[in-house]
Amino acid sequence: MRHGKYPFIIGFLVVPVALYCTFVVAAYLQAFQLSFTSWSGFGAIKYIGLENFHKLWNDDLFWKSLRHNLFLLILLPVVTVALALVIAFLLNVGGSSRGGQTRGVRGSKAYRIIFFFPQLLALAIVAVIFQRVFGPDKSGMINGLFPDSWDNWLFLADERWAMTCILIVLIWQAVGFYVVLFSAGMGSIPAEIYEAAALDGASRIKLFFRITIPLLWGTIQVAWVYLGIAAFDAFAVVNIMTVDRGGPNGATSVLSLMIWRNTFEFSQVGYASAIGVVLFFLTLTFAALTLRVTRRESLEA
Amino acid sequence: MSNITSVPGADVVPTPAAKSAGRKPTVKREVNALTGMAHIGLILWALATAGPLIWVVLASFKTNTEIFLGKPFALPASFSFKTYADAWTEAHVGRYFINSVIVVLLSTAGTMLLGSMSAYVLARYRFFGNRFIYYLFVSGLAFPTFMALGPLFYILRSMGLLGTYTGLVLVYIAYSLPFTVFFLAAFFKTLPYEIEEAATVDGASHTRKFFQIMMPMARSGLVSITIFNIVGQWNQYLLPLAIITGPGTDDKLLLTQGIAKISVSAGYHAEWSTLFAALTLSILPMIIVYAIFQRQIQAGLTAGAVK
Amino acid sequence: MTEIFKAAEVDRRTLLRRAAAVGLMATPAVGLLSACVGGGSDDNTKQSTGTKSADNPLGIDPKAGVEIIIFNGGLGTAYATDVDIPLFNKKWPDAKVTYSNTEQISTVVQPRINAGTPPDMINNSGSNLMDFGAIVKAGQAADLTDLFAAPSWDVAGKTVADTLVPGAIQQGTYDGKPFAMNYSFTVFGLWYNKKLFATKGWTVPTTWADFTALCDKIKAAGITPFGFAGANASYYMVRALLTSAAKIGTEQCLKDIDNLKPGAWTADPIMKAAQAWGEIGNKYINKTYLGLRHTEVQLQQDQDKLAFYPCGSWLENEQSKDTPPTFEYAVAAYPSVTTSDQLPATAINAAAGEIYFAAAKGKNPQGGKEYIRGMLSKEAALGFTKLTKSLTVVAGAADGQTISPGLTSANDLLGKAGKDVFMGYLFDTWYKKLDDESRAAANDLMFKGGDAAKFCQRMEAASQAVAKDSSVTKFTRS
Repeated sequence: MRHGKYPFIIGFLVVPVALYCTFVVAAYLQAFQLSFTSWSGFGAIKYIGLENFHKLWNDDLFWKSLRHNLFLLILLPVVTVALALVIAFLLNVGGSSRGGQTRGVRGSKAYRIIFFFPQLLALAIVAVIFQRVFGPDKSGMINGLFPDSWDNWLFLADERWAMTCILIVLIWQAVGFYVVLFSAGMGSIPAEIYEAAALDGASRIKLFFRITIPLLWGTIQVAWVYLGIAAFDAFAVVNIMTVDRGGPNGATSVLSLMIWRNTFEFSQVGYASAIGVVLFFLTLTFAALTLRVTRRESLEA
Repeated sequence: MSNITSVPGADVVPTPAAKSAGRKPTVKREVNALTGMAHIGLILWALATAGPLIWVVLASFKTNTEIFLGKPFALPASFSFKTYADAWTEAHVGRYFINSVIVVLLSTAGTMLLGSMSAYVLARYRFFGNRFIYYLFVSGLAFPTFMALGPLFYILRSMGLLGTYTGLVLVYIAYSLPFTVFFLAAFFKTLPYEIEEAATVDGASHTRKFFQIMMPMARSGLVSITIFNIVGQWNQYLLPLAIITGPGTDDKLLLTQGIAKISVSAGYHAEWSTLFAALTLSILPMIIVYAIFQRQIQAGLTAGAVK
Repeated sequence: MTEIFKAAEVDRRTLLRRAAAVGLMATPAVGLLSACVGGGSDDNTKQSTGTKSADNPLGIDPKAGVEIIIFNGGLGTAYATDVDIPLFNKKWPDAKVTYSNTEQISTVVQPRINAGTPPDMINNSGSNLMDFGAIVKAGQAADLTDLFAAPSWDVAGKTVADTLVPGAIQQGTYDGKPFAMNYSFTVFGLWYNKKLFATKGWTVPTTWADFTALCDKIKAAGITPFGFAGANASYYMVRALLTSAAKIGTEQCLKDIDNLKPGAWTADPIMKAAQAWGEIGNKYINKTYLGLRHTEVQLQQDQDKLAFYPCGSWLENEQSKDTPPTFEYAVAAYPSVTTSDQLPATAINAAAGEIYFAAAKGKNPQGGKEYIRGMLSKEAALGFTKLTKSLTVVAGAADGQTISPGLTSANDLLGKAGKDVFMGYLFDTWYKKLDDESRAAANDLMFKGGDAAKFCQRMEAASQAVAKDSSVTKFTRS
C-alpha cells in the first residue's frame, strides 16, 4: 500500500523542519559566515578570507584548549556510562531474587529520586556549588573533611588538577540522567529473559555483560555520542568555576570558553566564529565516527 | 528478605564454586556479596549527590562569614527565613517560577509532538532526503548554543517575535528538536514491524498507525525523552537571556534568569545566602513533583517489559 | 524541497500545511537578508531635537522621552532611581525617563546597538561590559564635547568641565574627543583595619623597608600580612605593582605601556617594582588565596585574618553587610620602593571609573547627554556619594560631609597627595588580551616564586604581540 506515503511523510516533517531551519540552521549559517570576517561585534563587517583560521593554527591557547577538550572526550563518556550502567543495573536487577523475579536493591525508589537531583540543577548552579566543594582552604567542603594537620589541596588553583576537577563536576551532574535512561532501557527488556538466565544459574555479573549490555547497545551508543558532545562544550562549568576564566594559566581553557571570551571580552567575533566552525566540525566528526564504529545489527525482538 | 541482612560484602568475594550452575544456595551467597557491595556503593553515591544540596540549604541560613570562613557542614547560627523572604521578593521567585512552568509546558508539548513525528518518519520510512534531514537535525547537537544568540536576536526581531513567549517557545522547540529526534529515532528503530504490518493489512492509514499503535508502543522512550526535555528546557538560561530582553519584559523573565540575576549580584552585593535560598526555592518544587510522579514515571519507563 | 509539489494526492489538510510552510520559509529568507548581523538600518531613526537656549544648552526636546539603562552592581541602582531621575524630572517634567537595569550590559545592550535601537543613555560597567573602544571606533558613542562645554546644572558661572576633578574628562577621551563620562572617582591603595592597627600599635609604612619590617611583625602575630584574590581579582595586584612602578619612574612608564612601546614592560621601574612585590609574595602571601575569590579574601580581612589588601574605595561599601564593629576601613598610600623614587611617598593613584555614555544612534542622544549633565550636578553627585560611599568626579561635592570612615580616609589621602595624583593606565580597557595576560602573570609572580624577570619578559612579549596584531584597534595617549 504505497499510496499516501509521501503526503504523510511530508506532512509530518514540514513543520518541524521549517521551524528548525528558521531558528537553528539560519543562526548557525550566519555564525559560519562571520568566521570569514574580522568583525569586532560593532560597526562594519570586513571579509578577510581564511585569515582567522590561519591565526587559529598558530594560537597556542587553541591547541591547549583542544587538548583539554580531548581529555574530557576520552574520560567523560567512559566513566559516566560505566557508573550509570552499574547503578541502573543495581537499581533494577541487583536485588535478591524472590520467587524467580528479579528486582532492584532495597530502597531503589529512594535512590532513584536522590540520584536524579543533580539533573534538576542548572549547570551554572552546579558550578557555584562545586566552587565551595573544591574551596582551597578549610571552608571548602573537601578540605574541611580532611584532618586539620593535612595541607590544603588547591584543586582548581592547581594547574595539574584543575581539569580533573572540571571532569568530576561534569560526571557528577550527568550520571543521574543516564541512570534514568538506562533504567528505561533495562525496563523494556522482558523480564522472562532474566528469569530464564537466572534459572540457568547465571551470575548477576554474567547477566550484566551477556544480556543487559547487548540489549541496551543502541541506548549506550546514543549516550556516548551525547556525552562526547558535552565534552566539547563544558562552557558553563569552566566559565564560572575556574581561576581567571580558564586558568590558572590556561590550565582549564576549553574551546567553548575561547569562543565566549573572544566574542564578549576581546571583541573578536570573527575569530570566535572561526573557533566555532572548527568546534562544530570536530563534534560532528566525533559523532559520525562513534556511530559508525559502534554500529551493530539491531536485535530482533 | 533474609539474604540481605548479611555482612557488608566488601570482604566476601564470590568463590569460584559460586559460579557453577544451578544450585540455589550458591546463588544466594553470591547475591549477598553483590547486594552488600551494591548498598555501600549506592549509599556513597547518594551521599555524594545529596551532600552538596544539603550544603546549599544550610548555606541559605548562614551569613557570608559563616559560608566562606566556617566549616562547611556546621549548622547556621540562626535559622531565620529572612533570606527566603528576600529571595521571594527580590528574585520574584514566585512569578518567575510560574513563567517558567508555562513556557516549559508549552515547549515540551510542542517538542514531543513535532519531535516524535519527525523521528518516526525518519526512522521507519525510506525516502529521498531521509539521511540528509536526519543529519541536519543531528548536526544541530554539534552547534554551541551561545553562538546562535546574536543571529537569533536579529531573526526574531525581523519576525517581530522578540520579547514574546511565542518567539521563545518556538525557539525552545527548534533547539530541542536535534536531541529529541536523535534519541527517538534510535528508539523507534528498535520497535518491531509485525504489528505495524498487521495494521496496514487491516487498512489503517499512516497517521492512525502512528497515533494509535506506534506511540503507545514507544511509551517508555517517550516518557524518558519528555522528562529530559522538561529538565533541559527548565534549566535553559542563554536563550531566554537573548530573547526575553528589552524594556517591559521584567515580568516575563524565567526562573533561570532570575537566579542568574541574583548570582551575579551576589558577586557584587555579597548576598550569597539569598542566592542559596533562591536556589533552594527553585529546586524544591522540582524535587517534589519528581517524587510524586516517580511511580508513574517508573511505570511509563518499564511499560515495555510487561507483555 | 521540490518534492513538496510533486505528490499526487493532496487533501485539504496537507495543502494548508504546505502553504503555511512556504509562507514560513519565505519570511525567514527575506528576514535573513535584512536581519544580517551588522546590516542594521542605516537610515537614521528620527532623532529628537529642540531649540538651544541658556536653560537648554544641549537643545533637547522637553517632551521627548529618554531611555536609560543602568548597571546593577557594586554601586546598586538607588542613585539612579532615587536621586538622578527625580532631579532630571524636576527640570524636565514632560520628558519621561524609561529606566531599566541589568547585570549583563553586553548581552542586553550590544544587540540593540547593532540593531540601531539602543537606549539613549548607557552605563557601561560590570564584568560583562562592552568593549568601549570598539563602540567608539564604530561611531556608536555620541561626542560629548557639547556636554562638557555646557554650563553646569547647579553651579553658576562654570561649565561642566570646570566643575570636575582634573583628568576626569581625559579618561574618557579617544583620539582627542570625549566620548565617555567616567563618573565615580576611586582612590586606590592598601586598605587595612584602623582599629586593629591601633590596638597592635602598628603604624602605616612609608618606605619599603618599613613595609617589610611591619609585615614580619604582622606575620609573627599570626595574621597574613598581604594578600589578594587570585581566582578573579588579580587585576588589583596588577594595579598595586604598576602604581609602585609609577612612583619609581613617574606616570610616563605607564603611558609607555599603554602606547605599546617596545621595552615598556622591561623598563627599570617595572622591573624594580616586580622584584619588590615578588619578594612580598614569596614571604608573606597565603598561597591558598590563588584559589579564592575577592569576596572570600575580603571577608577574611574583615575577620582580621588578613592585614593589607590592595583595592579601591568601593571596598567599604561592598563589605558593609559583613563588617564587624571591630573593623574600621582606612587606606594607605603604597610605600616608596626605592630611595630614589621620582614621586613622593604620598603620591597616589586615583582614577575615574564607571562609564556613562550617550548612544549616537539612539532616538534621543541629546536627552541622554542632558541626563548625564544632571548627574554631574553637585546635588546629584552628593546624593550619589551618600548612597554609594563612593566619590564622584564632581570636585568638592562631598566636602564637609562625614559619610564613613573609609571615605574620610580616602579623602584625606587625596588631600595629602595634592598634585601627585595620577590616573594610572588604560591598557586594561583598551587591550583585553593584554589585560588577561597581566592577571595571569601577576598570579604567577606572587604565588609561584616571585620571578620578576619572567613577569616582565612575559608581559613584553604579550604587549608586542598585541602591537603586531592588525585585527586589534589601537589607541594612544599622551
